[in-house]
Amino acid sequence: MAKVPRNFRLLEELEKGEKGIGDGTISYGLANPDDIFMSDWNGTILGPPHSVHENRIYSLTLHCDQNYPDSAPIVKFISKVNLPCVHASTGRVEPSKLDCLARWSRNYTMETVLSEIRREMATSGRKLPQPPEGSTF
Amino acid sequence: MALSKRIIKETERLLADPAPGIQATPHEDNLRYFDVVMSGPSQSPFEGGSFKLELFLPDDYPMTAPKVRFLTKIYHPNIDRLGRICLDILKDKWSPALQIRTVLLSIQALLSAPNPDDPLANDVAQHWKDNEKDAINTAKEWTAKYAHE
Repeated sequence: MAKVPRNFRLLEELEKGEKGIGDGTISYGLANPDDIFMSDWNGTILGPPHSVHENRIYSLTLHCDQNYPDSAPIVKFISKVNLPCVHASTGRVEPSKLDCLARWSRNYTMETVLSEIRREMATSGRKLPQPPEGSTF
Repeated sequence: MALSKRIIKETERLLADPAPGIQATPHEDNLRYFDVVMSGPSQSPFEGGSFKLELFLPDDYPMTAPKVRFLTKIYHPNIDRLGRICLDILKDKWSPALQIRTVLLSIQALLSAPNPDDPLANDVAQHWKDNEKDAINTAKEWTAKYAHE
């Protein structure tokens, strides 16, 4: 397989994000539509049903540096959340505590990361007490 | 993955006999990925500018078109804010008989002949249709501001 360069890979992800992913429970888009290097992104996760996160909408930021996708994006929650993989005071998703970030592969995408965080909400974070809805880091 | 003979031949020719005003250089660590520098065509609002582009040959090239975009900001109805280009031969009119060279020459021709009836950047196209003279002035300003290094 040819190695798709960073910018063309991010353009593919952008187009996929613009069309809408699956059932719409996760989404992402460019933070600044003029950013030719496509470094900063906003993500959204809809809290999974049958969990304390049900009906909550979580906002995150994703930063893809010049080495992306050889290196993982930096992911941070804006909305306050209590999850084992999220730093309690900064909102940063700790790479060592989320499997796809810990074992990052070039084939993973921002969608991979957001889906896995949502899965954590439905499993390890399903019953954890949560900060008030609408609070931010 | 080994490069096809076709890509090697095209690259050799691009380097040995470049098209006027177009310079395409493959990355050392990825020979399917090219840095391109294009001079704005004379008699166009982009004259005097030097525009950077990037081009990538996907796995199934030449069965599918190269991927190309501008890295230098440009005010043109068929080029959007992320440098993506609306050009038929990059999409449904692609043919394996075309080459990197023909693609780049077509993009250069698109700079000479903007087509506001098939826009990618809607606001720019509208400007072009409403007041072509003013739009051309903006394009010249952007060329002076962003395409001179």
